[in-house]
Amino acid sequence: MSPALAAALEGAAKIAFVWGVVLGAVLPNLIWVERRMAGLIQDRPGPNRVGPFGLFQAIADILKMFMKEDVVPMYADRLLHTIAPLILLVPAMSTFAVIPFGSSIRLFDRDISLVVADVNIGILYVFALTSIGIYGLVLAGWASNNKFALMGGLRSSAQVISYELAMGIAAISVFLAAGSLRLTKVVEYQASGTFLGFLPLWNCFPQALGCMIFVVSAFAETNRLPFDHPEAEAELVAGYHTEYSAFRFGMFFMAEYLNLIAASAMMATLYFGGWSLPGLHLTGIPGGVVSIAVFAAKTGFFIFLFVWVRWTLPRFRFDQLMNLGWKVFLPLALLNLIVTGALVLWGVI
Amino acid sequence: MPALSGELVVFGFASLLVLAFALLMVVQKTPVRSVLSLVVTFFGLSVLAILLAAPFIAALQIFVYAGAILVLFLFVIMLLNLKEEAADKDDRPVQRTLGLLVALALGGLLAGATLRAPLPPRGTPTGTPIPMPDEIPALGRLLFSDYLLAFEVLSLLLLVAAVGALLLSKRRFE
Amino acid sequence: MTGVLPGVAPMAVPPGAFLVVATLLFAIGLAGALLKRNALSIFLSIELMMNAVNLLFLTYARMRGDLAGQMIVFFVIAVAAAEAAVGLAIFVALFRAHRTVDVDKIALLKW
Repeated sequence: MSPALAAALEGAAKIAFVWGVVLGAVLPNLIWVERRMAGLIQDRPGPNRVGPFGLFQAIADILKMFMKEDVVPMYADRLLHTIAPLILLVPAMSTFAVIPFGSSIRLFDRDISLVVADVNIGILYVFALTSIGIYGLVLAGWASNNKFALMGGLRSSAQVISYELAMGIAAISVFLAAGSLRLTKVVEYQASGTFLGFLPLWNCFPQALGCMIFVVSAFAETNRLPFDHPEAEAELVAGYHTEYSAFRFGMFFMAEYLNLIAASAMMATLYFGGWSLPGLHLTGIPGGVVSIAVFAAKTGFFIFLFVWVRWTLPRFRFDQLMNLGWKVFLPLALLNLIVTGALVLWGVI
Repeated sequence: MPALSGELVVFGFASLLVLAFALLMVVQKTPVRSVLSLVVTFFGLSVLAILLAAPFIAALQIFVYAGAILVLFLFVIMLLNLKEEAADKDDRPVQRTLGLLVALALGGLLAGATLRAPLPPRGTPTGTPIPMPDEIPALGRLLFSDYLLAFEVLSLLLLVAAVGALLLSKRRFE
Repeated sequence: MTGVLPGVAPMAVPPGAFLVVATLLFAIGLAGALLKRNALSIFLSIELMMNAVNLLFLTYARMRGDLAGQMIVFFVIAVAAAEAAVGLAIFVALFRAHRTVDVDKIALLKW
């Protein structure tokens, strides 16, 4: 088998695995988890009719999305109305390409590193995709020819742009400590030593401030409560997806959940050690499988955190939100960057 | 005729995308669609930058140019609620034809001149070489050593621009 | 084209092709700047011209094997951001004064 063909097959297998797991296993269960946890937190059962414990609720939801009537408002720009959900969905699906979901395993005489594309610009790819997602929000609002949708779209994109800044600067400190923009190097750096002798060198310990900023900004970036202005039913009807029904709404829904999963995976990778566990250095196929399981557990915890916070905290007002992003998080992120720079210079991390 | 390789195919596709959507941008009547065509053009340019061993610039092109500057354009267009250009009586056809001819002539002239210009006959490049697999640390080192003054001046420029934009667009309560 | 300098890795795509694309892009941007009447469309065409020049810089950087070209592009992108911010603020102020951004109608200095 020629090396080019082998490399292509390896890439295709990794893509199939990642998308298969995310779209086939995580996404439907996430829908179910969200609604059951909502029920638990609000002291009610949640969906429990469709299948055992309501596990097939996701299938019911997806079928409903397909079968509803697709309405496009009359004076709306048809082309933009159609492509806006796609502009939001495609970057959400593509973010998984650079996230390392396991250590490397050796299969068929090849060292396969468990990341779909180990590009040398690593995190810049993720930020670039987030920037493209903003167009989906703005266009969805504009193309609906509805003042509530437009307000929701503009507010939502202003929110994403503001928190993208704080998130980026908090992430820069991580790459300063790791010495490279590649996400695989960041995970290897976190697996490589200890901080202050007893804690693992996970970035959440020396850069706790940056970690907190990143986590909260991720809530704002994915439009989840307490920052979910576009979905503020009482204020903006349904924000930028007011005029969308059936499958197009399903695409927005899917994009939001995919962004959530990607953000959880990013948090696990950048700040909590990715696929590594301190003290566990297995090699070969068992090592690879255990690393995938560790990564899945960490991502699962953050997904749980997203869902938990949604049903617990009230919503921010829009000016409070912008205030927090620009006047609080940006200076704190810069402070974190300076402190991390000093720590790296003195050889502490 | 160069050998058909993956890079050539990608180049062909990307340059076609770039030129087609640039033409579309100029031809569109609605400003919103112009901006969107330009976004696709920038995507194509980003791919071309990757082919030219500049992945950092490619990421910046999407992250900064397509993802921030053009979003700003879009916001302003939506704020001013600009619709399509209305056809006007004094459309000045002579001026428009002359303009088109000048653009075509200049394009041809520039293309010819650029293709004929030889590279300077120096033995070694004078600046920092492009390191072939990973070039981001080298770029960072260059930025903070040789180009430090330019970098600092740039940050000052951005501050001035931000303050200036704020002042220019303030509503005057008289 | 006399080809790349000695000591630099050869390019799989001939550099002349990149140069032609860049100059064509510049010409298209110029046509847009000359033919459009909406001030924002003119500004977009100018941005297109700047990007054509960026592509030219990147091509020459690759041909010479010199990283300085990429640095220049970095600065051009940042300066374009500053210029876009101020330019758009000017257009907003202009719109507030005249209720239009049509450059044919904003002819105050004409006698």
